[in-house]
Amino acid sequence: CSDDFTNRPPEDAISLDAYYNTNDQVVSATNGMYSRTWFQLCNKFFWTLEVGSGNMYSGSPDVAGLRTFSLNGSDPELANGWASMWANVAQANALINFLESRVGPDVDQDVIDHAIGEAYFMRATAYFYLVRMWGPVPIIENNLDYSNDPYINTNPVSDIYTFIVNDYKAAIDKLESKIRGSNYGENGRVSKGSAKAMLAKVYLYQKDYPNARAMAEEVINSHEFKLLGGSELPSMSFGDLFLYKNNNNQESIFAIQWKGDGNYGSANNSNTQFGISSNTVSTSNATYGGVFGPSQDIFSLYDVADLRRHETIMIPGDTYPNINTSNGVGFTVPDEDNAQGSGGGIKKYCLGRVSDATGPVDAWGMMDNNTYIMRYAELLLIHAEAVLAGGPSTSDPAALSSFNAVRNRAGLPSMTSITFDDIFKERRLELCFEGDYWFDLGRLDKTDAIDIMSAQNRGNKNTEEYYTPVYSASDHAANDFYIDYPDNDVAKNPKLLEDPVPYTFN
Amino acid sequence: IVNDSKGMALPGVSILEKGTNNGAVTDFDGNFTISVQKNATLIFSYLGFEPQEIKVIGRSNINVVLTEKLEGLDEIVVIGYGSQKRGDVNSSISSVKAEDLKDLKQISLDQMLQGKAAGVSVTSNSGAPGGAASIRIRGTTSLTGTNEPLYIIDGVPISGDATGKSTSGQPLVGKDGFSSTGGNGNNAVSPLSMINPNDIETIDILKDASATAIYGSRGANGVIIITTKSGKKSEGKIAYEGYTSIVSNYKDLNVMNLQQFAKNKTDLANLFGLETRDEFSHPELLGLGTDWQNEVYRTAIAKNHQLSFSGSKNGTNYYLSAGFLDQEGTIINSGLKRYTVRLNADSKVKKWLKVGANLTGGITNEKVTVNQSFTGLISNTLLQAPDIPVRNADGSFAGPPSSDQSVTYYNPVAEALTRDNKLIRKNFLGNVYAELSIIEGLKYRIEVSANTEFSKNEDFRPSYKWGSQENVTADLDTRNQNWYSTNIKNLLTYNKTIDKHSFTILLGQEANDSHWEGVVTSSSGFKTNENHTINLADVDNNTVTGYKGSASISSYFARLIYSFDNKYSLTASIRSDTSSKFDPTTDNQTGIFKAISGSWKLSNEPFMEGTKKYIDNIKFRIGYGETGNQQIENNRYTALLNTQNSGLGSGFLVSNSPNPNLTWESLNQTNGGIDFTLFDSRLSASFDIYDKTSEGFLFQVPLPDYLTGGGSQYGGISAPYSNLGTMQNKGYEFTLGYNLSTDSFSWNSSLNISHYSNKLVEIQDGLVLTQQVNTNGYQPVVVTNTIVGKPIGMFYGYVAEGIFNDLNELNNAPLQFGQPVGTGAGETYLGDVKYKDVSGDGVIDASDKTLIGSPHPDFTFGFTNNFKYKNFDLSLFLQGSYGNDVMNLTRRAGTKNSSLYENQLVEAANYWTPTNTNTDIPRPIADSANNNLLISSRYLEDGSYLRIQNLTLGYSIPQDVLEKFKMSRLRIYGSAQNLYTFTKYSGYDPEIGSFNQSPLLSGIDNGRYPSPRTFSIGVNVEF
Repeated sequence: CSDDFTNRPPEDAISLDAYYNTNDQVVSATNGMYSRTWFQLCNKFFWTLEVGSGNMYSGSPDVAGLRTFSLNGSDPELANGWASMWANVAQANALINFLESRVGPDVDQDVIDHAIGEAYFMRATAYFYLVRMWGPVPIIENNLDYSNDPYINTNPVSDIYTFIVNDYKAAIDKLESKIRGSNYGENGRVSKGSAKAMLAKVYLYQKDYPNARAMAEEVINSHEFKLLGGSELPSMSFGDLFLYKNNNNQESIFAIQWKGDGNYGSANNSNTQFGISSNTVSTSNATYGGVFGPSQDIFSLYDVADLRRHETIMIPGDTYPNINTSNGVGFTVPDEDNAQGSGGGIKKYCLGRVSDATGPVDAWGMMDNNTYIMRYAELLLIHAEAVLAGGPSTSDPAALSSFNAVRNRAGLPSMTSITFDDIFKERRLELCFEGDYWFDLGRLDKTDAIDIMSAQNRGNKNTEEYYTPVYSASDHAANDFYIDYPDNDVAKNPKLLEDPVPYTFN
Repeated sequence: IVNDSKGMALPGVSILEKGTNNGAVTDFDGNFTISVQKNATLIFSYLGFEPQEIKVIGRSNINVVLTEKLEGLDEIVVIGYGSQKRGDVNSSISSVKAEDLKDLKQISLDQMLQGKAAGVSVTSNSGAPGGAASIRIRGTTSLTGTNEPLYIIDGVPISGDATGKSTSGQPLVGKDGFSSTGGNGNNAVSPLSMINPNDIETIDILKDASATAIYGSRGANGVIIITTKSGKKSEGKIAYEGYTSIVSNYKDLNVMNLQQFAKNKTDLANLFGLETRDEFSHPELLGLGTDWQNEVYRTAIAKNHQLSFSGSKNGTNYYLSAGFLDQEGTIINSGLKRYTVRLNADSKVKKWLKVGANLTGGITNEKVTVNQSFTGLISNTLLQAPDIPVRNADGSFAGPPSSDQSVTYYNPVAEALTRDNKLIRKNFLGNVYAELSIIEGLKYRIEVSANTEFSKNEDFRPSYKWGSQENVTADLDTRNQNWYSTNIKNLLTYNKTIDKHSFTILLGQEANDSHWEGVVTSSSGFKTNENHTINLADVDNNTVTGYKGSASISSYFARLIYSFDNKYSLTASIRSDTSSKFDPTTDNQTGIFKAISGSWKLSNEPFMEGTKKYIDNIKFRIGYGETGNQQIENNRYTALLNTQNSGLGSGFLVSNSPNPNLTWESLNQTNGGIDFTLFDSRLSASFDIYDKTSEGFLFQVPLPDYLTGGGSQYGGISAPYSNLGTMQNKGYEFTLGYNLSTDSFSWNSSLNISHYSNKLVEIQDGLVLTQQVNTNGYQPVVVTNTIVGKPIGMFYGYVAEGIFNDLNELNNAPLQFGQPVGTGAGETYLGDVKYKDVSGDGVIDASDKTLIGSPHPDFTFGFTNNFKYKNFDLSLFLQGSYGNDVMNLTRRAGTKNSSLYENQLVEAANYWTPTNTNTDIPRPIADSANNNLLISSRYLEDGSYLRIQNLTLGYSIPQDVLEKFKMSRLRIYGSAQNLYTFTKYSGYDPEIGSFNQSPLLSGIDNGRYPSPRTFSIGVNVEF
């Protein structure tokens, strides 16, 4: 009797050992890794990187550290971004190591494989962010190994890339194949094609052009993805990419699947953080907006003919007839300081006030529109760059076809020969405010990157400001292209600051 | 006529003719009639009074004045599953009587214990009506678990943990738990605010482990046993007490008025190179602007009524009471109402059977104020700009006119008046028992008790437009929770005295079962602010979540008390507890807790006979005991999956790393003490010294984020709990009492002084126990650290050594945070704070953070004095703390000088300039993240204080007047609570307490609700 009396299994949670008995249960095992685990990165720190790259401007102290390159390890958002990536690693490890041994006999092998493939995909993607932001970090394949001894060394960048490549390959092996159709509800999960696309990018970062090209071409030839507003989907446009109703469209390779559920940290904060300072267009329930604005540099970036400009930044006088505002549907950007004294505002990811078109909003003004990690346009640009393969220029039709598909969708004429600088600029135009330009700058030769960044006007519309990043190959702390390890984790494990130790792959 | 020393009639006094069975009892007016021989001797006896023998000597009219028994050695002390005479107790137990508490006009009894018992430290965590207090019995025992004692109210166990760590872990109020970095602030509500303090008869505080070990697993933080009133007199008594209080803050902080604000902001704009505001160009022409403190704080009224009926008839005792309290908070639109009823009854049904019940119900209805938070009302009040009016001309609430001025503060008056944040709690608690006398000395008692609470929190924030600040659609958060616990006890007690040997043997069994569940909803999109139930919200914006759980403990225990010749005494106890918190498939569930203690009454030795005239009692005590703690979340021994939603549907992620080896946290305590009374028990003193060591804390290992991903809240995997570390508390406590009584004058006085020193002895290498709080601008900062060899929860930061005034000095000083000397952004210049190079490495960086101050006092004290002269009574109660520091983050926020739109303290204008160098306020920098604002010794202040906590003057109407109205007592009194505080502390109140009872976040003033001053007048009436 007493034994039963003091045995209290959980009543509001599920014990790990008692779950995973049906296909549905195993399929749902990875759902949380498409949203919550990413929140602490996407909430603010992702955009901190856009400030650092010179795409965005912000004076808000929680997100503006990289504007002046004064970000340091005590920054709470930096620690949040770091933790978020490790949350993905921890959850992926739990599935990779334990799922197969815990599933019931009624679960199909391909369901198990796909779930584990998703875990490999998430782990690789998390490490890809970690290595690009922090450089050397510890490779952790089983968190439980370190519960009693958390004092581990970092591993070298090259080992981490090897690890990422292995993980994406494992993901390609296990994930299901897919063709992205017009039933967007079926497009949310990653596929073999998603993993190949990510792997193409990883190869590109390693300047392994043949493999990057091969991977990109496998994706292109599979016809899994299509450009919205490209030749295959001419009725749609670049602007459609960022509408709530187009979550998981045909161009989406991997996107975070937000779902507000009443808890802080479950939905997309961009709708409040972007837009303009007055809450005219910010979502309801937030009394502010425009925590980030465009940098002065961005205002002069786009060609007049470039259709992407209107969908990326808001300039006084611009009209958005479908956006809901506090004054009703239809918004004309006022001629004011707008966001952060920038003079304009960020349009991308800004949906406006809650309406049928925006989907629901939560108490913090967050909405359920996806955040892209990769979309097909980028894969095409990766392909073009892989074909260029480090050369001075190319007129290879394969490269031009991919490159011009992106340009034409934006309303710009085709080019007949392209250089690295052309592709580099096109990436910035296409992916502006999507969290990638900081990493693009990071893979340049450092003197080139420093030249670009020190020439950027990093002030607001009233004051010009210029800052020069520092690069040191040997000193992690004195390298503005790597981010400091969070102080709290360094205090817990000072070995993070020691030289990396080669990883033993098994 | 028989009267007491105050001249009041004593009904029910028994009178016996000596040597006969001839007796009588006084009637309602104290009159008696008895027929006796002329030379007979009458013995008058009455509970609580010294018996008196009077020779009749032929008189037919005898007036007798009985004197009240001096509280002392015969007093009964409750020791846990039994009671003992004070003189026989071997452990360290403090008792507080209703008499000592009656003048304290506090809402809940935890606050009333402040300064009343040695070794018991009580700090109110908030001045809000109903806010929780932190009680530490002999220092801090657990590192991250609860440190609150266990309360036993008429046999019903109630944890003092206001955060419910071991049950649901959910707050009763607010969205994001008890996080110090969240916006809810200090939201723990007292688990005891449901109990009407007027119903309490005695409070016995078991302090050392030899006493608490009988409570085993839950005794580690001390046990407070509360006994409520029961009927006494043979005749029924009706008692009424009512009082009305005026409650107000006794201090305003000196913030800038509009003229000062305008000048300051113009100066700052010029300094920062920003545009000045035209309207501020002639500050002298402006008015004083809005005095937000004046608008938000008010003089509040509190009303209390308490009516009780009690009596005793034919072996049946009863006590029935009803209480009503309506206390407004000193912040507008805050307050608490409480309704309580109690029925205590017991009856001797048969010679061998006694049955009884104690039942109470209470309802509180509280209007909650967010405090100790950057979004709290106190912060809003202090930092809101005085150029913003409370209301616009049309009567609507005002706000910053343009969005550039929209800092993170809201119109606090609007916030207080329109935000509807209510907490309703309904609590029912009671027990029934039967006691059988089987044979002489052998008793069996069975007791069944239950406790349940239903609570409901509704926080409605209407849609509004206050200037440029707008909430488009109203929001509603609700929390409905209920929990219950049942407790059953079987006790067998055997008493036997053989010659000089006397034994008491106790065998017992106890089982405790608790269950909790809750539903939490969040809605928005209301079309109107009028009615706001969930069904009126936008259906797409309704979210619901819930939780549920249960826990149990099964126990067996035994105790032997042996004494020989009233000189030597020994107590030994053992208890076995089996807890559901640990893995049921292992033997980790069961803990065994042993205790032994002994005493020697030196004064009863024959050779001390000669000193009896002066020293009537000396007793030495020594004891050792083991207790435990198991108050952690459920099921930490196994890995759990928690729901996580995404656009793909809801799924599950692993939420924690398991640890099947988890077991009891243990605490061992050794206690030595001496008690003595001198001069006919007029002077009594007690001294105790103790050493307590807690080991194997149930502790969530603070693993680095690269292993946990930040914990389960954002999809990571929370670190496992483990049994880790050792902490020691050593201390002493001293109580001195003096009683003086003559016919018309009496004085009794009690002084207690307590000291403890706390030390973390060991913990796993590399564990970092820093704690953060949120400050304005959504920036959490580390404020405390806990390191091996030092007390826990020490203030942590940089050491400030004044301000750079000299360029040479600056150029030669260690480089600060990698910032070169210069005037630009990110550079160090004259007027900046000079930090100390603690690590001696020639630069100032994070390695120079160090322990900069202590929230732990050197000692705390309480001094109670009661005087009576004829019909007047006067009591004076002083209480205080010495040697502790306070981290004044309110002053930090008020002297930042970094924004053009938030108000500041007047002293902020005294910032450094090349011509104003003699100041401790650095040069202004237009960035609230600048290094001058780092947590440093600049923000520490001496938190010592001496407080006149209570002064009460009463007058009782003389008996002869009362008789005409058939009354037995009528007393009127005036009372002042928190009358005056002597302190150097510059904030509202040096008594800060702990953030949500956290032992690692004590003494941090981040906009705490100030404890108010209360003047009351009241009346006691008895029939």
